[in-house]
Amino acid sequence: MERWALVSGLGGDLEVYEQIQRELKTKRGLDRLFVLGDLIGPKHNNDALLKRLQQPQRGDLPPECIYGWWEEQLLAERGYRGDRTAEALRINHGNDAVEALLASVDTGHMAWLASLQFGFIELDCALLHGSSADVGDELMPSSSPLILLDRLTRLDVNRLFTARSTQQFRLDLNGGAIDSHIKDLNGEHNQQQEVPKRSVIGIGSGEMFSLYAPGSDHIEFVKVGVKPVSRGLGFG
Amino acid sequence: MAHAVISCLHANLAAVEAVLADIDQQGINTITCLGDLVGYGPQPNEVVELMRQRAIPTCQGCWDEDIIDGLNACECSYPSQLAERRGHLAHQWTDAEMTAENKRFLASLPTSLRRDKLLFVHGSPNSQHEYLLPDMNAFAALERVETAGAETLFCGHTHQPYVRELRGGSIRVRVQHNDSSSSEEQDMTLPMRRIVNAGSVGEPRHGNTQATYVIHDEATNDLTIREVSYDVAKTCQAIIDAGLPEVFAWRLSHGFEYAERADDASHVCER
Amino acid sequence: MSQTWLISGPPGCGKTSWILTTIRSHPGSCGYLRLSGLSEDGLEQGHDAGIDLAWLKDQCPQLQDLSKPDQQCADRIDDQLNLIELQQYRPPAHPGVDEIDPRISNQLKALQLQPDRALHFGREPELPEQDTLEFNRLEAWSVSLHDSVWDPNSLSSFWFELVNGAYGDVYRAKALMNLPDGRAFFCNWIVSQQGSQFLPLEVVEPPTGRPNRASELVVQGKALDGMGMQSTINDCLLSDAVLDMHQAPLREQQPDLSQAKR
Repeated sequence: MERWALVSGLGGDLEVYEQIQRELKTKRGLDRLFVLGDLIGPKHNNDALLKRLQQPQRGDLPPECIYGWWEEQLLAERGYRGDRTAEALRINHGNDAVEALLASVDTGHMAWLASLQFGFIELDCALLHGSSADVGDELMPSSSPLILLDRLTRLDVNRLFTARSTQQFRLDLNGGAIDSHIKDLNGEHNQQQEVPKRSVIGIGSGEMFSLYAPGSDHIEFVKVGVKPVSRGLGFG
Repeated sequence: MAHAVISCLHANLAAVEAVLADIDQQGINTITCLGDLVGYGPQPNEVVELMRQRAIPTCQGCWDEDIIDGLNACECSYPSQLAERRGHLAHQWTDAEMTAENKRFLASLPTSLRRDKLLFVHGSPNSQHEYLLPDMNAFAALERVETAGAETLFCGHTHQPYVRELRGGSIRVRVQHNDSSSSEEQDMTLPMRRIVNAGSVGEPRHGNTQATYVIHDEATNDLTIREVSYDVAKTCQAIIDAGLPEVFAWRLSHGFEYAERADDASHVCER
Repeated sequence: MSQTWLISGPPGCGKTSWILTTIRSHPGSCGYLRLSGLSEDGLEQGHDAGIDLAWLKDQCPQLQDLSKPDQQCADRIDDQLNLIELQQYRPPAHPGVDEIDPRISNQLKALQLQPDRALHFGREPELPEQDTLEFNRLEAWSVSLHDSVWDPNSLSSFWFELVNGAYGDVYRAKALMNLPDGRAFFCNWIVSQQGSQFLPLEVVEPPTGRPNRASELVVQGKALDGMGMQSTINDCLLSDAVLDMHQAPLREQQPDLSQAKR
């Protein structure tokens, strides 16, 4: 049965990545490793991790990466996003943070970073950093269910995996409906729409990552070096 | 008090004059315009000047934005190469035709207007390019109104007028955190909200050539879609006299939009 | 014994469709010829430019082209059915092969073809009932689209405008159109019938550049706006660069083609 590992928020920390790779070797039946953005971050020099992601070592589960919020800031500042710059980073953390980010990534990695996609659609799952609305969209258990449903609807997927909030959670939409009354030049009519059975899953960040089996819809939240707190969180 | 909402004038002076006369005749003094004053039609300066002269509060449409910012929409917003070429031709013609002062007026327009719980936008609160179609997923439609903090959202852009009331909604969720094996359930009751599309004054797309707009009676909360006849032949002649493609006149006189809507209407250009 | 039939009728009455059905149901070999018709008062003949032959050859690859000199011996093959298509607005005064207009029979003689039967749509009960259109004045406009490839959505917009009167009062439109994925469509419309026919050709060209096959548009009607049509067509046809953009992903799906780009 197919199983995926879902990782994000490495922030240039090669050590954490190596720990995760070691841990993945102990798990059986893992087919794919998705790294959902924020490969880079402000705390480390990012070059070693970026090199490792592009050139996996023997035995590594090969990573499939998308860009996240930090990559977006870097790409914008280095002119890969039209007229945009790293405005969000500059406003929140000042110009020094922007300079530090520029210094932490060798320009040799830019072409590869620029080639990364916004997200993956695998089976009926969207694998994203933020949401279908924006790479910086923070989806959490406390987000309005209306917004979560909208983000699922935009990509017409049943499962949306998100990383931006750094939290590990699973939120299932499992009931409800809405009535619509429409009046136009042809007359009036009513529709009822039910809430589709869909889920938003927060995969965690850094040492916190997730394992997912799309066949059984089983999710397992993992922390590096710690046995799972609970098993069987899936609702298959 | 009743107020009127008009949208998508598209430089069609005869249609704008007919609609304003219809509004005046009903003694309505408050009018809001949802943009796209120009584009495809033959009288961009005349229409902009009329709106300025009447001091009608107006938000900026995607065409108004493109005229001042240069062609900004990506090619994905056109359904075909033909529609794209025609769109560009209309853009160039309008750009060359408009006075600097009228362009400055378009540049000064806000992307949304708010009056209490009423929000006025061209496409959606997210983007001037997003189409809110009447059959759009009801939850997604409600999200647009709710996230924008409005009770009634007035929009245009689709050229098809409608009034949609979203009511009696609820969503139940079950949440699992990483630190517990139990789950909690929550119920959210959704508020009643409305989306009102004002249709199009200058480029109708509802099956005939009549201009459309809406009237909202704030006392009763009633919404009425109005259809107004105007001298279509006069605008068609002006299209030909202006040197715009004759096929534009043909399309207008048959109630077809100048360019078809993009296939994926929910697509929003990120550029 | 081989047979040669002359099938005549006004534009859009269904000659080519009837001929295709007849060819398919004939057990032996078949030959085909489309004669350019005679212009009558105020009724211009649509320049066919090989649309019918290309369509029939695509559907029935064994079909013999009777206009080719090397196939004129076809007459001798036993059981061969030769079908000659002729656009003719008004029925001849009397039935029978003797009443064929001498200008037509001379053309046929030159090709060593002697009709055994002459069937006119609207008169012969064995032919489907013709669309009862009164043709009094008809102009024709045609354009060669050889080497041209259409943006698919633009083609559907253009065709919609064409048959709904944006470029004049069109009675009949017929075309072979190429799409970037290598397919071609036989597009067929007549004012008296609802909707257009869009029939895919059997032969699909590889996505390696511009296809080398017949592509034409023929329009008949009144007050036709040739400049308007040409200008819209120009906006619908793909440039080399855009064509390549459409075709590159298709070539990638067919690895043996990725080297074959012309």
